[in-house]
Amino acid sequence: MIIEMREFTRVEGNGKAEIVIEDGEVKDVRLQIIEGPRFFELLTLGRHYYDVPDLEARICAICYLSHSVASVIGIERAFGVEVPEEITLLRELGLIGEFLESHSLHLYLLVAPDVFGYPDAIRMATKHGELVKEGLALKAFGNRLRVMVGGREIHGINVKPGGFGRYPTVEELEEIERESEVLLRLARRAVRLFAQLDPYGAKAKHFVATDGYLWGKKLISDEPGEFHYTERIEERSLVYSFAKQSRYKGEAFFVGALPRLLLKSEMLTPTARRLFEEHREKLETGYVSYNNLAQAIELVYSLERANEIAKTLLDRGIEGENVPVEPREGEGIGYVEAPRGLLIHHYRIDNSGNIAYSNIITPTALNHAMIEASLLKEARELYGEVDEGRMIGRLEETVRAFDPCISCSVHLVKL
Amino acid sequence: MMEELKLGVFELTDCGGCALNILFLYEKLFDLLEFYEITEFHMATSLSEGNHYDVALVTGTVSTQRDLNLLKEARNHSEYLIALGTCATHGSVQGSVELPIREKLKAVYGDGGNPMRALDSKPVVEYVAVDFALPGCPYDKEEVYQVLMDIAKGIEPVRKDYPVCLECKLNEYECVLVKRGLPCLGPITYGGCKAVCVRSGLGCIGCRGPLPGEVNPASEYEILKSLGYDDEYIIRKFKTFARWEP
Repeated sequence: MIIEMREFTRVEGNGKAEIVIEDGEVKDVRLQIIEGPRFFELLTLGRHYYDVPDLEARICAICYLSHSVASVIGIERAFGVEVPEEITLLRELGLIGEFLESHSLHLYLLVAPDVFGYPDAIRMATKHGELVKEGLALKAFGNRLRVMVGGREIHGINVKPGGFGRYPTVEELEEIERESEVLLRLARRAVRLFAQLDPYGAKAKHFVATDGYLWGKKLISDEPGEFHYTERIEERSLVYSFAKQSRYKGEAFFVGALPRLLLKSEMLTPTARRLFEEHREKLETGYVSYNNLAQAIELVYSLERANEIAKTLLDRGIEGENVPVEPREGEGIGYVEAPRGLLIHHYRIDNSGNIAYSNIITPTALNHAMIEASLLKEARELYGEVDEGRMIGRLEETVRAFDPCISCSVHLVKL
Repeated sequence: MMEELKLGVFELTDCGGCALNILFLYEKLFDLLEFYEITEFHMATSLSEGNHYDVALVTGTVSTQRDLNLLKEARNHSEYLIALGTCATHGSVQGSVELPIREKLKAVYGDGGNPMRALDSKPVVEYVAVDFALPGCPYDKEEVYQVLMDIAKGIEPVRKDYPVCLECKLNEYECVLVKRGLPCLGPITYGGCKAVCVRSGLGCIGCRGPLPGEVNPASEYEILKSLGYDDEYIIRKFKTFARWEP
């Protein structure tokens, strides 16, 4: 017998799951990504590098800047281009904006209705209007950062190899400095709310992240050593899903806010670090549902870090100089932490600057096996214990804990 | 009090941006809710209770049988259907990979192929009649607000009839095509985005598709050639969002 879950709601993109029952027991769970394939790597093949980050941004709307930045870093590494601190700080500011926009969308508008028992945030707003407003304020601030660095709220084209089309003004940076301080109070309240929730889902055995907090040159995991993704991560096709599934040394693994905190807590800003220590015991159990608590702590990190960066840039002044980029034959990988986890853009470029090879692996594809493992664990615990409707509701919440981004996950190709 | 209109948001295959952009309306979304009740919008709500929609917003391309079924359902149960965003109106970037679907699937999933059925990504407008088409990758959110408000008040929404260049001039942005020789499709692209890319000092990438009527793509083509861009580069640029033949 197969119990079919309807299409997931309050997630980005189209997906569902099947629960396979044999002899009265849950035998298997299949996560089906039914969003159509989008062929992004094919789209970029043969294209001039300069146009590629703008196209790759279209993989995802919630985290378009992560894609632009990963693409730009991959291209710069292929050409051996180094950019100065001003440019890296601004890119970081953009990615922080994306964390704020994406995490607050997820926590306040998509997860919080589960906490309070509503079908959505609009209906939740009648009783919990303050909370919804707080979420929207954080989200709007995140979007202001994305507009400033990325060019617009969705699919801006301001992030370019070697720099930016437009640099922010002093007034804009002053506003960021001021606002980030004011909003910190709201983020701390979110941490308190999400710390109260009970754990569910599987406990992750392996965690993977980049070696820097928001991007890196290599990857790290719960095991010693730094590595490139090709050394430990493998992808395979599934017969029931448009998304491929990745494994870390053959096993399911977890990328996202919780893995970042567990692997990189020493890189956090002071208040975020203190909140991490306060909840360390919980977080270290590795339950995937604590990803939501981790995201709330990252809201605090993002606001503190935005404040630091704005101060630094205001102190030193904006020069607004792009680094010249000369195409040459080369290969580069951009590792970026998208809000929902590790994102990989890998290119080979020919000497006229056209893309010859392209591979992209997104967080939800990396988490695919871990989502299945979590659904399986929950289904086994709940099947026969509670009615089917409640079981399915909890399974949907389990999927939501990952903050899956299904649209992004369906365009994997190796050529 | 006037009865609320039923609004459905249907997402086919896309990046999620056109649905997300509705949530980015913030307080204006609550203004819309004075007139509309959202009965289908799976990114935002777990409720799904509609079988009739006064207005259906459809985003994305038709890329699977599921997409096609959903589109037909939306069409058959709605009074006024809006193709929202360049995927729905023109196919956008994901519709621009010019290979047969079989070869594309082989490139992604290997020789064994993927038994899931996929279709070539096509815009909504190729399958059903739409009552309004609002392009943009993504569309400008003020535009969807205006269109929904017009419909609520019984006014037929107006299509804009000017290129990106007009908004560029109104904002007094420097012309990146003439002054800096950057490839900019502004002169032939459907306006309404407030020339947001030129605001960043970069060329328009044509994400809203061609302005119908009196535009001159041949002349744009010649300008780009004279700036030193080769044929293939220009043709690809023209075709990327809207399968635009120079």
